Amino acid sequence: MVTREDVENIALLSKLFVPEEELDGLTKSMQEIIDFADTINNAPVSGDSFDDINNLSNVFREDVVVESYSTKEILENAPEQAEDHFLVRNRE
Amino acid sequence: MKYELVAGFETHIELATKTKIFCSCTTQFGGAPNSHCCPVCIGLPGTLPKLNREVVNYAIKAGLAVHGEIAEIAKMDRKNYCYPDLSKAYQISQLYAPLIIGGYVELSNGRKIRLHHIHIEEDAGKLIHQHGDTYVDYNRGGVPLIEIVSEPDIRSVDEAREYVEKLQQVMRYIGISDCKMQEGSMRCDVNISVRPQGSEKLGTRTEIKNMNSINNIAKAMEYEYERQVDLIESGGKVVQETLRYDDATNTTSSMRSKEDAHDYRYFRDPDLVTIKVSREEVEEIKSELPELPADKCKRYIEELAIPEKDAQLLTKYRKISEYFDEACNGVKSPKTVSNFIIGQIFRRTETEADKEIFNVSVSPLQLNELVKLLDSGKIRNNLAKSTLEKMLDSGKGALEFISESDMGGLDENALLELCKQAVESNPKAVDDYRNGKEKAIKALVGNVMKNSRGKADASAAEAKIKELIG
Repeated sequence: MVTREDVENIALLSKLFVPEEELDGLTKSMQEIIDFADTINNAPVSGDSFDDINNLSNVFREDVVVESYSTKEILENAPEQAEDHFLVRNRE
Repeated sequence: MKYELVAGFETHIELATKTKIFCSCTTQFGGAPNSHCCPVCIGLPGTLPKLNREVVNYAIKAGLAVHGEIAEIAKMDRKNYCYPDLSKAYQISQLYAPLIIGGYVELSNGRKIRLHHIHIEEDAGKLIHQHGDTYVDYNRGGVPLIEIVSEPDIRSVDEAREYVEKLQQVMRYIGISDCKMQEGSMRCDVNISVRPQGSEKLGTRTEIKNMNSINNIAKAMEYEYERQVDLIESGGKVVQETLRYDDATNTTSSMRSKEDAHDYRYFRDPDLVTIKVSREEVEEIKSELPELPADKCKRYIEELAIPEKDAQLLTKYRKISEYFDEACNGVKSPKTVSNFIIGQIFRRTETEADKEIFNVSVSPLQLNELVKLLDSGKIRNNLAKSTLEKMLDSGKGALEFISESDMGGLDENALLELCKQAVESNPKAVDDYRNGKEKAIKALVGNVMKNSRGKADASAAEAKIKELIG
């Protein structure tokens, strides 16, 4: 069972603010989502079969350096930047 | 009441591979900010990580070096947390199926510090906090790490110190990391608790994060031990929490308590396939490992009759032990080689950094030649010592400084002649000796040694002089 505390905890971990009046509704929705996802448990499988769905193993890369991107390119999508760094503003 | 300290370590070691764990960016330390990055290691959506084969090999080496069991099947997991040092909001690590299981580090007191497991993971970026804002450099993001997780088997600060030193030594020997704590390529989290002496039950532990020097580890542990004991003695309770150590004030302070401990929601990373390690691969990697320091030390003591303390000095760094091995080749007394290294050569490689590099002007082969001259009785110890000094000054071989006439010792007549001279030129010493001052003979022998340029045999000279004046 999903509880109000679960929703509060998930909100905290996700760095989301949830107003008090929305908690009951969200708890109910969350329970429904989990119930829906639970239908997968009825699938007739055993053991680890979801683990390696492609049946692949040991896909490796050789230890050879390839030139990195330029700092300009790396920072291109940064919401904010300063002195060649990604800048994270303190919102408090 | 007496309290026992109980500690376990989580040790992060950066692997010295050329490229990062999941992309082909360089792992070089430093560099301009965000210049060793690509879409994979800054975690852009739609990118796919691909595991560096060498990371697996290095981790297996590390595992073998600490007697761990190499898993046949290992998997990568996502450890979710939200902090700017990891732009993906998860770190790719291992929880459910780590690459190495078990193992131990043996201390000089014979105790074995058991290891729980070793796993591979990616390092996070570097954060610089300034004026309340945070500047992020992802050059270090994605650098491969192994995390060595010990059992809570450590019982004293000295054991902790030795445990870290032993790990550092063995990882450097096998060449998987430079383990420079000051540069962050080796970092320790220390879990520490106390319990009444004799008790089997573990106390509540605290965790001191990110210790970056052995001295700080020791100081932080001493402080935390005292703090916990004082707390319990005064009727309080230790709270499980994560601490930060401040070396300026030598105190620990709380980073976060258990209540807001992260729920990492680990799950299998669907982007990375299973790692399978065949037993043949393990054997092959095992065969490539150099002789490990503990084995070397044991061999020096048992087979070469080197005193334990000296054997530890010789094996502390791989370069020194290799120098010693080479210089010992075919000599009668490895102890002589050891004495030259620990005495005269160490005087010229004073710092730990010098000893680690061990760049000595005299080659092991040159030292070997010198010791063989000694072995064969062609020269005597004093001459060998002074010759080694000259060799160290110049980088030239022994034969540059020792002429044919210096070799072969002295014949009877020459020795007799020198003894006569000594007696004649030191009438006072002769009188003293005759008046019962036994020690006066040393002055006469010294005179012979000096005039023979170290070629004379001191005990033969003493006997001869006694004959002359006795």
